[in-house]
Amino acid sequence: MSEHILEIRHLSKSFGANTVLRDISFTVDRGDVICIIGASGSGKSTLLRCINLLETPSGGEILFHGTDITKERVNIPAYRAKVGMVFQNFNLFTNMTALKNCMIGMTKVQKKDKMTAEKTARYYLDKVGMSPYIHAKPRQLSGGQKQRVAIARALAMEPEVLLFDEPTSALDPQMVGEVLTVMRNLAKEGMTMIVVTHEMAFARDVSSRVVFMHNGVICEQGTPQDIFINPQKQETKDFLARFLNG
Amino acid sequence: MFFQRVQNILANYGMTLLRGAGVTLLIATLSTFFGCIIGYIVGIIQTIPVGRRDHPAKKAVLGVVRAILRAYVEVFRGTPMMVQAGFIYYGFLYAGVSLPWLAAALLIVSINTGAYMAETVRGGILSIDEGQTEGAKAIGMTHFQTMLYVILPQATRNILPQIGNNLIINIKDTCVLSVISIVELFFAAKTAAGATYTYFEPYTISMVMYLIMTLFFSRLLRWMEKKMDGPQVYDLATTDTLAHTSGMISYPGKGRKEEE
Ligand SMILES: Nc1ncnc2c1ncn2[C@@H]1O[C@H](COP(=O)(O)OP(=O)(O)OP(=O)(O)O)[C@@H](O)[C@H]1O
Ligand SMILES: [Mg+2]
Repeated sequence: MSEHILEIRHLSKSFGANTVLRDISFTVDRGDVICIIGASGSGKSTLLRCINLLETPSGGEILFHGTDITKERVNIPAYRAKVGMVFQNFNLFTNMTALKNCMIGMTKVQKKDKMTAEKTARYYLDKVGMSPYIHAKPRQLSGGQKQRVAIARALAMEPEVLLFDEPTSALDPQMVGEVLTVMRNLAKEGMTMIVVTHEMAFARDVSSRVVFMHNGVICEQGTPQDIFINPQKQETKDFLARFLNG
Repeated sequence: MFFQRVQNILANYGMTLLRGAGVTLLIATLSTFFGCIIGYIVGIIQTIPVGRRDHPAKKAVLGVVRAILRAYVEVFRGTPMMVQAGFIYYGFLYAGVSLPWLAAALLIVSINTGAYMAETVRGGILSIDEGQTEGAKAIGMTHFQTMLYVILPQATRNILPQIGNNLIINIKDTCVLSVISIVELFFAAKTAAGATYTYFEPYTISMVMYLIMTLFFSRLLRWMEKKMDGPQVYDLATTDTLAHTSGMISYPGKGRKEEE
Protein backbone atom coordinates (compact mmCIF):
# COMPACT_ATOMS: atom_id res chain seq x y z
CA MET A 1 0.00 0.00 0.00
CA SER A 2 1.41 3.34 -1.04
CA GLU A 3 1.31 6.48 1.02
CA HIS A 4 -2.18 7.70 0.16
CA ILE A 5 -3.89 9.43 3.06
CA LEU A 6 -7.27 8.98 1.46
CA GLU A 7 -8.33 6.80 -1.39
CA ILE A 8 -11.90 7.11 -2.65
CA ARG A 9 -13.00 4.11 -4.67
CA HIS A 10 -16.18 3.97 -6.73
CA LEU A 11 -18.06 6.05 -4.20
CA SER A 12 -21.77 6.50 -4.80
CA LYS A 13 -24.53 8.23 -2.91
CA SER A 14 -28.28 8.26 -3.41
CA PHE A 15 -31.00 10.08 -1.54
CA GLY A 16 -33.87 7.71 -2.09
CA ALA A 17 -34.25 7.35 -5.85
CA ASN A 18 -32.09 10.40 -6.48
CA THR A 19 -28.54 9.36 -7.28
CA VAL A 20 -26.31 12.30 -6.44
CA LEU A 21 -22.85 10.73 -6.73
CA ARG A 22 -21.74 7.98 -9.09
CA ASP A 23 -18.50 6.06 -9.30
CA ILE A 24 -16.30 8.71 -7.71
CA SER A 25 -12.65 7.69 -7.46
CA PHE A 26 -9.61 9.73 -6.57
CA THR A 27 -6.70 9.74 -4.17
CA VAL A 28 -5.31 12.25 -1.74
CA ASP A 29 -1.63 12.26 -0.84
CA ARG A 30 0.23 14.18 1.82
CA GLY A 31 0.48 17.86 0.92
CA ASP A 32 -2.11 17.71 -1.84
CA VAL A 33 -4.42 20.62 -2.33
CA ILE A 34 -7.35 19.30 -4.29
CA CYS A 35 -9.91 21.80 -5.50
CA ILE A 36 -13.31 20.50 -6.46
CA ILE A 37 -15.20 22.70 -8.88
CA GLY A 38 -18.48 22.25 -10.69
CA ALA A 39 -21.94 23.67 -11.17
CA SER A 40 -24.42 24.03 -8.34
CA GLY A 41 -26.07 20.71 -7.58
CA SER A 42 -23.30 18.65 -9.15
CA GLY A 43 -22.68 16.92 -5.80
CA LYS A 44 -19.58 18.67 -4.48
CA SER A 45 -20.90 19.18 -0.96
CA THR A 46 -22.32 15.69 -0.84
CA LEU A 47 -18.92 14.27 -1.79
CA LEU A 48 -17.18 16.21 0.96
CA ARG A 49 -19.83 15.24 3.49
CA CYS A 50 -19.43 11.60 2.52
CA ILE A 51 -15.69 11.83 3.08
CA ASN A 52 -16.13 12.71 6.74
CA LEU A 53 -19.26 10.59 7.03
CA LEU A 54 -21.74 13.36 7.69
CA GLU A 55 -23.54 11.47 4.93
CA THR A 56 -23.43 7.69 4.76
CA PRO A 57 -22.18 6.61 1.33
CA SER A 58 -24.49 4.26 -0.55
CA GLY A 59 -21.66 2.35 -2.17
CA GLY A 60 -17.94 2.22 -2.74
CA GLU A 61 -15.07 2.57 -0.33
CA ILE A 62 -13.25 5.37 1.44
CA LEU A 63 -9.81 4.19 2.51
CA PHE A 64 -8.07 6.22 5.19
CA HIS A 65 -4.48 4.96 5.36
CA GLY A 66 -5.78 1.79 3.80
CA THR A 67 -8.69 1.22 6.19
CA ASP A 68 -12.19 1.38 4.76
CA ILE A 69 -14.01 3.76 7.08
CA THR A 70 -17.42 3.04 5.58
CA LYS A 71 -17.28 -0.43 7.12
CA GLU A 72 -19.10 -1.17 10.34
CA ARG A 73 -17.15 -1.20 13.60
CA VAL A 74 -15.09 1.80 12.55
CA ASN A 75 -14.85 4.42 15.27
CA ILE A 76 -16.35 7.32 13.36
CA PRO A 77 -15.68 10.10 15.89
CA ALA A 78 -12.02 9.08 16.09
CA TYR A 79 -11.77 9.19 12.30
CA ARG A 80 -13.48 12.58 12.11
CA ALA A 81 -11.04 13.99 14.65
CA LYS A 82 -8.29 13.36 12.09
CA VAL A 83 -10.20 14.84 9.17
CA GLY A 84 -11.12 18.47 9.76
CA MET A 85 -14.01 20.24 8.11
CA VAL A 86 -14.72 23.89 7.49
CA PHE A 87 -18.27 24.73 6.53
CA GLN A 88 -19.84 27.38 4.39
CA ASN A 89 -21.84 28.62 7.37
CA PHE A 90 -18.97 28.36 9.88
CA ASN A 91 -20.97 26.28 12.38
CA LEU A 92 -19.09 27.78 15.30
CA PHE A 93 -20.57 26.87 18.66
CA THR A 94 -22.63 29.91 19.55
CA ASN A 95 -22.44 29.23 23.28
CA MET A 96 -18.65 29.47 23.40
CA THR A 97 -16.02 32.12 22.87
CA ALA A 98 -13.59 31.82 19.98
CA LEU A 99 -11.01 30.37 22.33
CA LYS A 100 -13.43 27.83 23.79
CA ASN A 101 -14.52 26.84 20.29
CA CYS A 102 -10.94 25.91 19.51
CA MET A 103 -10.29 24.20 22.83
CA ILE A 104 -13.35 22.00 23.20
CA GLY A 105 -12.28 19.39 20.67
CA MET A 106 -8.84 19.09 22.25
CA THR A 107 -10.08 18.84 25.83
CA LYS A 108 -13.12 16.61 25.27
CA VAL A 109 -12.24 14.54 22.21
CA GLN A 110 -8.47 14.35 22.40
CA LYS A 111 -8.50 14.55 26.21
CA LYS A 112 -5.65 17.04 26.32
CA ASP A 113 -5.24 18.99 29.50
CA LYS A 114 -6.58 22.53 29.59
CA MET A 115 -3.22 24.28 29.62
CA THR A 116 -1.95 22.46 26.53
CA ALA A 117 -5.27 22.93 24.79
CA GLU A 118 -5.32 26.63 25.48
CA LYS A 119 -1.77 27.07 24.26
CA THR A 120 -2.52 25.21 21.04
CA ALA A 121 -5.79 27.09 20.54
CA ARG A 122 -4.04 30.42 21.00
CA TYR A 123 -1.33 29.37 18.57
CA TYR A 124 -3.78 28.59 15.80
CA LEU A 125 -6.00 31.58 16.51
CA ASP A 126 -2.89 33.69 16.17
CA LYS A 127 -2.06 31.96 12.91
CA VAL A 128 -5.38 33.02 11.39
CA GLY A 129 -4.98 36.52 12.80
CA MET A 130 -7.72 36.20 15.42
CA SER A 131 -5.64 36.68 18.56
CA PRO A 132 -7.37 39.88 19.60
CA TYR A 133 -10.80 38.28 19.45
CA ILE A 134 -10.33 35.11 21.47
CA HIS A 135 -12.88 36.18 24.09
CA ALA A 136 -15.57 37.09 21.57
CA LYS A 137 -18.65 34.95 21.04
CA PRO A 138 -19.48 34.09 17.42
CA ARG A 139 -22.40 36.55 17.31
CA GLN A 140 -19.93 39.35 18.03
CA LEU A 141 -17.74 38.53 15.02
CA SER A 142 -17.98 39.33 11.32
CA GLY A 143 -18.38 36.54 8.77
CA GLY A 144 -14.73 36.56 7.79
CA GLN A 145 -13.66 36.50 11.42
CA LYS A 146 -16.00 33.62 12.17
CA GLN A 147 -14.62 31.63 9.28
CA ARG A 148 -11.06 32.23 10.44
CA VAL A 149 -11.98 31.00 13.91
CA ALA A 150 -13.62 27.97 12.31
CA ILE A 151 -10.39 27.27 10.44
CA ALA A 152 -8.42 27.63 13.67
CA ARG A 153 -10.81 25.24 15.39
CA ALA A 154 -10.23 22.65 12.68
CA LEU A 155 -6.47 23.21 12.71
CA ALA A 156 -6.27 22.91 16.48
CA MET A 157 -7.25 19.26 16.14
CA GLU A 158 -4.11 18.89 14.00
CA PRO A 159 -5.94 16.88 11.36
CA GLU A 160 -4.25 15.01 8.56
CA VAL A 161 -6.63 16.37 5.96
CA LEU A 162 -8.74 19.49 6.04
CA LEU A 163 -11.98 19.66 4.06
CA PHE A 164 -13.42 23.02 3.04
CA ASP A 165 -16.95 23.34 1.69
CA GLU A 166 -17.22 26.68 -0.06
CA PRO A 167 -15.60 28.49 2.86
CA THR A 168 -16.02 31.93 1.29
CA SER A 169 -19.44 31.62 -0.30
CA ALA A 170 -21.34 33.08 2.65
CA LEU A 171 -18.99 36.05 2.95
CA ASP A 172 -19.21 39.62 1.75
CA PRO A 173 -16.67 40.25 -1.03
CA GLN A 174 -14.32 42.28 1.16
CA MET A 175 -14.02 39.38 3.63
CA VAL A 176 -13.31 36.71 1.04
CA GLY A 177 -9.70 37.85 0.75
CA GLU A 178 -8.83 37.45 4.41
CA VAL A 179 -10.04 33.85 4.44
CA LEU A 180 -8.37 32.95 1.15
CA THR A 181 -5.10 34.39 2.43
CA VAL A 182 -5.25 32.08 5.43
CA MET A 183 -5.93 29.13 3.14
CA ARG A 184 -3.09 30.05 0.78
CA ASN A 185 -0.72 30.13 3.73
CA LEU A 186 -1.92 26.72 4.89
CA ALA A 187 -1.32 25.31 1.42
CA LYS A 188 2.16 26.80 1.39
CA GLU A 189 2.95 25.11 4.68
CA GLY A 190 2.02 21.77 3.19
CA MET A 191 -1.40 21.22 4.75
CA THR A 192 -3.35 18.53 2.93
CA MET A 193 -6.64 20.04 1.82
CA ILE A 194 -9.71 19.26 -0.23
CA VAL A 195 -11.47 22.47 -1.14
CA VAL A 196 -14.86 22.86 -2.77
CA THR A 197 -14.81 26.35 -4.19
CA HIS A 198 -16.14 28.76 -6.76
CA GLU A 199 -12.98 30.85 -6.42
CA MET A 200 -11.34 29.92 -9.72
CA ALA A 201 -8.26 32.06 -9.14
CA PHE A 202 -7.62 30.19 -5.90
CA ALA A 203 -8.14 26.82 -7.59
CA ARG A 204 -5.82 27.78 -10.43
CA ASP A 205 -3.01 29.16 -8.24
CA VAL A 206 -3.04 26.95 -5.19
CA SER A 207 -4.22 23.47 -6.09
CA SER A 208 -2.03 20.57 -6.95
CA ARG A 209 -5.01 18.92 -8.62
CA VAL A 210 -8.41 20.15 -9.80
CA VAL A 211 -11.44 17.90 -9.91
CA PHE A 212 -14.31 19.01 -12.10
CA MET A 213 -17.65 17.48 -11.18
CA HIS A 214 -20.67 17.33 -13.41
CA ASN A 215 -24.02 15.70 -12.57
CA GLY A 216 -22.60 13.57 -9.78
CA VAL A 217 -19.57 12.19 -11.59
CA ILE A 218 -15.98 13.33 -11.89
CA CYS A 219 -16.02 14.64 -15.42
CA GLU A 220 -12.37 15.55 -15.57
CA GLN A 221 -9.43 15.88 -13.19
CA GLY A 222 -5.87 17.01 -13.56
CA THR A 223 -3.39 19.75 -12.82
CA PRO A 224 -4.66 23.32 -12.87
CA GLN A 225 -3.02 23.60 -16.29
CA ASP A 226 -4.92 20.57 -17.58
CA ILE A 227 -8.25 21.87 -16.39
CA PHE A 228 -7.99 25.61 -16.86
CA ILE A 229 -5.75 25.84 -19.94
CA ASN A 230 -6.36 22.58 -21.81
CA PRO A 231 -9.70 21.16 -20.72
CA GLN A 232 -10.49 18.01 -22.70
CA LYS A 233 -14.20 17.61 -22.07
CA GLN A 234 -16.85 19.82 -23.58
CA GLU A 235 -18.64 20.07 -20.19
CA THR A 236 -15.50 21.46 -18.58
CA LYS A 237 -15.09 24.04 -21.34
CA ASP A 238 -18.73 25.07 -21.05
CA PHE A 239 -18.51 25.38 -17.28
CA LEU A 240 -15.35 27.46 -17.39
CA ALA A 241 -16.69 29.64 -20.18
CA ARG A 242 -19.87 30.29 -18.23
CA PHE A 243 -17.87 30.97 -15.11
CA LEU A 244 -15.31 33.28 -16.59
CA ASN A 245 -17.95 35.26 -18.47
CA GLY A 246 -19.90 35.65 -15.22
CA MET B 1 -63.01 47.84 58.61
CA PHE B 2 -61.27 45.90 55.86
CA PHE B 3 -57.83 46.58 57.22
CA GLN B 4 -58.92 45.69 60.72
CA ARG B 5 -60.13 42.31 59.53
CA VAL B 6 -56.94 41.81 57.58
CA GLN B 7 -54.95 42.63 60.68
CA ASN B 8 -57.06 40.26 62.69
CA ILE B 9 -56.49 37.42 60.28
CA LEU B 10 -52.80 38.14 60.08
CA ALA B 11 -52.57 38.10 63.85
CA ASN B 12 -54.36 34.80 64.21
CA TYR B 13 -53.58 33.02 60.97
CA GLY B 14 -50.43 34.76 59.79
CA MET B 15 -48.24 31.85 60.71
CA THR B 16 -50.61 29.34 59.11
CA LEU B 17 -50.63 31.35 55.90
CA LEU B 18 -46.87 31.78 55.94
CA ARG B 19 -46.37 28.10 56.53
CA GLY B 20 -48.81 27.43 53.69
CA ALA B 21 -46.78 29.72 51.45
CA GLY B 22 -43.64 27.88 52.52
CA VAL B 23 -45.18 24.56 51.58
CA THR B 24 -46.29 25.99 48.25
CA LEU B 25 -42.81 27.27 47.59
CA LEU B 26 -41.17 24.03 48.61
CA ILE B 27 -43.44 21.90 46.44
CA ALA B 28 -43.26 24.25 43.47
CA THR B 29 -39.48 24.68 43.39
CA LEU B 30 -38.59 21.04 44.11
CA SER B 31 -41.19 19.74 41.67
CA THR B 32 -40.03 22.10 38.96
CA PHE B 33 -36.50 20.88 39.57
CA PHE B 34 -37.45 17.19 39.45
CA GLY B 35 -39.80 17.90 36.56
CA CYS B 36 -36.90 19.42 34.65
CA ILE B 37 -34.79 16.34 35.30
CA ILE B 38 -37.58 14.11 34.03
CA GLY B 39 -38.11 16.45 31.09
CA TYR B 40 -34.44 16.45 30.14
CA ILE B 41 -34.18 12.68 30.37
CA VAL B 42 -37.30 12.12 28.28
CA GLY B 43 -36.44 14.88 25.80
CA ILE B 44 -32.89 13.56 25.35
CA ILE B 45 -34.07 9.99 24.81
CA GLN B 46 -36.68 11.15 22.30
CA THR B 47 -34.00 12.87 20.22
CA ILE B 48 -31.33 10.12 20.11
CA PRO B 49 -30.66 9.59 16.41
CA VAL B 50 -30.90 6.08 15.01
CA GLY B 51 -28.87 5.34 11.93
CA ARG B 52 -28.74 2.46 9.56
CA ARG B 53 -25.51 1.31 11.13
CA ASP B 54 -27.04 0.90 14.57
CA HIS B 55 -27.65 -2.50 16.08
CA PRO B 56 -31.23 -3.81 15.63
CA ALA B 57 -31.49 -4.54 19.37
CA LYS B 58 -30.66 -0.94 20.16
CA LYS B 59 -33.34 0.23 17.75
CA ALA B 60 -35.93 -2.11 19.25
CA VAL B 61 -35.23 -1.10 22.85
CA LEU B 62 -35.23 2.55 21.93
CA GLY B 63 -38.51 2.12 20.06
CA VAL B 64 -40.25 0.55 23.06
CA VAL B 65 -38.86 3.08 25.53
CA ARG B 66 -39.95 5.94 23.30
CA ALA B 67 -43.47 4.57 22.95
CA ILE B 68 -43.78 4.39 26.73
CA LEU B 69 -42.43 7.89 27.17
CA ARG B 70 -44.76 9.26 24.53
CA ALA B 71 -47.72 7.67 26.32
CA TYR B 72 -46.54 9.23 29.59
CA VAL B 73 -46.35 12.67 28.03
CA GLU B 74 -49.78 12.38 26.40
CA VAL B 75 -51.50 11.11 29.54
CA PHE B 76 -50.08 13.66 31.95
CA ARG B 77 -50.39 16.60 29.58
CA GLY B 78 -53.86 15.58 28.56
CA THR B 79 -55.52 15.34 31.98
CA PRO B 80 -56.02 17.92 34.76
CA MET B 81 -53.48 17.85 37.56
CA MET B 82 -56.27 17.90 40.14
CA VAL B 83 -57.56 14.63 38.76
CA GLN B 84 -54.03 13.22 38.57
CA ALA B 85 -53.58 14.11 42.24
CA GLY B 86 -56.62 12.06 43.21
CA PHE B 87 -55.68 9.27 40.84
CA ILE B 88 -52.13 8.91 42.15
CA TYR B 89 -52.84 9.46 45.84
CA TYR B 90 -55.86 7.17 46.05
CA GLY B 91 -54.26 4.75 43.64
CA PHE B 92 -51.42 4.29 46.11
CA LEU B 93 -53.90 3.98 48.98
CA TYR B 94 -55.75 1.32 47.01
CA ALA B 95 -52.49 -0.57 46.67
CA GLY B 96 -52.05 -0.31 50.43
CA VAL B 97 -49.47 2.48 50.42
CA SER B 98 -50.27 5.68 52.23
CA LEU B 99 -47.92 8.25 50.78
CA PRO B 100 -46.57 10.88 53.15
CA TRP B 101 -48.05 14.22 52.11
CA LEU B 102 -44.81 15.75 50.85
CA ALA B 103 -43.90 12.68 48.83
CA ALA B 104 -47.36 12.62 47.30
CA ALA B 105 -47.22 16.30 46.43
CA LEU B 106 -43.75 16.12 44.92
CA LEU B 107 -44.61 12.99 42.95
CA ILE B 108 -47.75 14.46 41.45
CA VAL B 109 -46.39 17.87 40.53
CA SER B 110 -43.03 16.51 39.28
CA ILE B 111 -44.65 13.96 37.03
CA ASN B 112 -46.99 16.57 35.67
CA THR B 113 -44.23 19.12 35.12
CA GLY B 114 -42.01 16.44 33.59
CA ALA B 115 -44.60 15.76 30.91
CA TYR B 116 -44.63 19.40 29.87
CA MET B 117 -40.88 19.78 30.19
CA ALA B 118 -40.28 16.70 28.03
CA GLU B 119 -41.92 18.44 25.09
CA THR B 120 -40.21 21.71 25.91
CA VAL B 121 -36.77 20.09 26.02
CA ARG B 122 -37.41 18.11 22.87
CA GLY B 123 -38.49 21.29 21.11
CA GLY B 124 -35.46 23.11 22.50
CA ILE B 125 -33.10 20.45 21.19
CA LEU B 126 -34.75 20.37 17.77
CA SER B 127 -34.65 24.15 17.53
CA ILE B 128 -30.85 24.21 17.56
CA ASP B 129 -29.47 24.60 14.06
CA GLU B 130 -28.27 21.36 12.47
CA GLY B 131 -24.99 23.13 11.74
CA GLN B 132 -24.10 23.05 15.44
CA THR B 133 -24.36 19.27 15.46
CA GLU B 134 -22.33 19.01 12.27
CA GLY B 135 -19.67 21.33 13.63
CA ALA B 136 -19.40 19.13 16.70
CA LYS B 137 -19.33 15.89 14.73
CA ALA B 138 -16.67 17.32 12.44
CA ILE B 139 -14.24 17.67 15.33
CA GLY B 140 -14.96 14.14 16.43
CA MET B 141 -17.52 14.59 19.18
CA THR B 142 -19.84 11.71 19.94
CA HIS B 143 -23.59 12.26 20.11
CA PHE B 144 -23.36 12.36 23.89
CA GLN B 145 -20.57 14.96 23.90
CA THR B 146 -22.38 17.04 21.29
CA MET B 147 -25.47 17.06 23.47
CA LEU B 148 -23.60 17.85 26.66
CA TYR B 149 -21.31 20.62 25.47
CA VAL B 150 -23.04 22.13 22.47
CA ILE B 151 -26.75 21.41 22.12
CA LEU B 152 -28.06 21.31 25.68
CA PRO B 153 -26.38 24.54 26.84
CA GLN B 154 -27.93 26.35 23.90
CA ALA B 155 -31.27 24.62 24.25
CA THR B 156 -31.34 25.35 27.97
CA ARG B 157 -30.78 29.03 27.33
CA ASN B 158 -33.64 29.00 24.84
CA ILE B 159 -36.08 27.16 27.09
CA LEU B 160 -35.20 29.04 30.27
CA PRO B 161 -38.27 31.29 29.87
CA GLN B 162 -40.42 28.18 29.64
CA ILE B 163 -38.81 26.65 32.71
CA GLY B 164 -39.65 29.89 34.49
CA ASN B 165 -43.17 29.65 33.18
CA ASN B 166 -43.48 26.16 34.58
CA LEU B 167 -42.21 27.28 37.96
CA ILE B 168 -44.76 30.08 38.09
CA ILE B 169 -47.53 27.78 36.97
CA ASN B 170 -46.47 25.34 39.68
CA ILE B 171 -46.53 28.01 42.38
CA LYS B 172 -50.12 28.71 41.44
CA ASP B 173 -51.26 25.22 40.62
CA THR B 174 -50.07 23.48 43.77
CA CYS B 175 -53.41 24.77 45.10
CA VAL B 176 -55.08 21.82 43.39
CA LEU B 177 -53.31 19.61 45.91
CA SER B 178 -55.88 20.78 48.43
CA VAL B 179 -58.02 17.91 47.07
CA ILE B 180 -55.70 15.54 48.87
CA SER B 181 -55.60 17.85 51.90
CA ILE B 182 -52.12 19.18 51.54
CA VAL B 183 -51.77 22.35 53.56
CA GLU B 184 -50.33 24.75 51.04
CA LEU B 185 -51.18 28.42 50.77
CA PHE B 186 -54.65 28.04 49.28
CA PHE B 187 -55.63 25.42 51.82
CA ALA B 188 -54.37 27.66 54.59
CA ALA B 189 -56.41 30.59 53.28
CA LYS B 190 -59.48 28.38 53.05
CA THR B 191 -58.94 27.25 56.62
CA ALA B 192 -58.63 30.82 57.83
CA ALA B 193 -61.74 31.77 55.91
CA GLY B 194 -63.74 28.88 57.29
CA ALA B 195 -62.70 29.49 60.87
CA THR B 196 -63.32 33.25 60.92
CA TYR B 197 -66.28 33.45 58.56
CA THR B 198 -64.43 36.12 56.64
CA TYR B 199 -63.71 35.29 53.02
CA PHE B 200 -62.59 38.31 51.07
CA GLU B 201 -59.69 39.15 53.37
CA PRO B 202 -57.88 35.81 53.60
CA TYR B 203 -58.13 35.36 49.85
CA THR B 204 -56.83 38.86 49.32
CA ILE B 205 -53.90 38.15 51.59
CA SER B 206 -53.10 34.88 49.86
CA MET B 207 -53.43 36.53 46.48
CA VAL B 208 -50.80 39.08 47.46
CA MET B 209 -48.59 36.29 48.76
CA TYR B 210 -48.88 34.34 45.51
CA LEU B 211 -48.07 37.45 43.55
CA ILE B 212 -44.99 38.21 45.63
CA MET B 213 -43.69 34.69 45.06
CA THR B 214 -44.31 34.69 41.32
CA LEU B 215 -42.85 38.17 40.86
CA PHE B 216 -39.75 37.16 42.76
CA PHE B 217 -39.17 34.14 40.56
CA SER B 218 -39.87 35.89 37.30
CA ARG B 219 -37.23 38.47 38.26
CA LEU B 220 -34.79 35.77 39.30
CA LEU B 221 -35.19 34.00 35.97
CA ARG B 222 -34.69 37.19 33.98
CA TRP B 223 -31.47 37.69 35.87
CA MET B 224 -30.38 34.13 35.10
CA GLU B 225 -31.09 34.65 31.39
CA LYS B 226 -28.90 37.73 31.38
CA LYS B 227 -26.20 35.85 33.23
CA MET B 228 -26.23 33.02 30.70
CA ASP B 229 -25.96 35.43 27.79
CA GLY B 230 -22.67 36.72 29.16
CA PRO B 231 -21.29 40.18 28.65
CA GLN B 232 -22.46 42.12 25.61
CA VAL B 233 -18.95 43.46 25.10
CA TYR B 234 -15.91 41.26 24.91
CA ASP B 235 -12.41 42.12 26.00
CA LEU B 236 -10.01 42.61 23.19
CA ALA B 237 -7.23 40.35 24.27
CA THR B 238 -3.90 42.00 24.88
CA THR B 239 -1.11 41.12 22.52
CA ASP B 240 1.03 40.74 25.58
CA THR B 241 2.44 37.31 24.91
CA LEU B 242 4.60 37.57 28.01
CA ALA B 243 1.54 37.23 30.20
CA HIS B 244 0.70 34.08 28.32
CA THR B 245 4.06 32.40 28.36
CA SER B 246 4.52 33.19 32.02
CA GLY B 247 1.34 31.28 32.74
CA MET B 248 -0.73 34.33 33.55
CA ILE B 249 -3.45 33.38 31.12
CA SER B 250 -6.31 35.74 31.70
CA TYR B 251 -9.89 34.78 31.25
CA PRO B 252 -12.46 37.52 30.82
CA GLY B 253 -13.40 38.61 34.31
CA LYS B 254 -16.99 38.23 35.40
CA GLY B 255 -18.87 41.37 34.54
CA ARG B 256 -15.68 43.18 33.72
CA LYS B 257 -16.41 45.21 30.65
CA GLU B 258 -13.94 47.20 28.69
CA GLU B 259 -14.85 49.75 26.10
CA GLU B 260 -12.98 49.43 22.87
N1 LIG C 1 -30.16 15.50 2.32
C1 LIG C 1 -30.50 15.45 1.00
N2 LIG C 1 -31.62 14.80 0.62
C2 LIG C 1 -31.95 14.75 -0.69
N3 LIG C 1 -31.26 15.30 -1.67
C3 LIG C 1 -30.13 15.94 -1.36
C4 LIG C 1 -29.69 16.07 -0.01
N4 LIG C 1 -28.55 16.77 0.01
C5 LIG C 1 -28.28 17.08 -1.27
N5 LIG C 1 -29.23 16.58 -2.09
C6 LIG C 1 -29.24 16.71 -3.56
O1 LIG C 1 -28.00 16.31 -4.04
C7 LIG C 1 -27.63 17.07 -5.17
C8 LIG C 1 -26.21 17.58 -4.98
O2 LIG C 1 -26.19 18.49 -3.90
P1 LIG C 1 -24.87 19.16 -3.37
O3 LIG C 1 -25.25 20.00 -2.24
O4 LIG C 1 -23.86 18.09 -3.14
O5 LIG C 1 -24.44 20.05 -4.60
P2 LIG C 1 -23.25 21.08 -4.70
O6 LIG C 1 -22.44 20.68 -5.85
O7 LIG C 1 -22.57 21.20 -3.38
O8 LIG C 1 -24.00 22.43 -5.02
P3 LIG C 1 -23.68 23.93 -4.56
O9 LIG C 1 -22.59 24.43 -5.44
O10 LIG C 1 -24.96 24.66 -4.80
O11 LIG C 1 -23.32 23.88 -3.12
C9 LIG C 1 -28.65 18.17 -5.32
O12 LIG C 1 -29.51 17.81 -6.37
C10 LIG C 1 -29.40 18.14 -4.02
O13 LIG C 1 -30.73 18.45 -4.21
MG1 LIG D 1 -22.49 22.75 -1.87
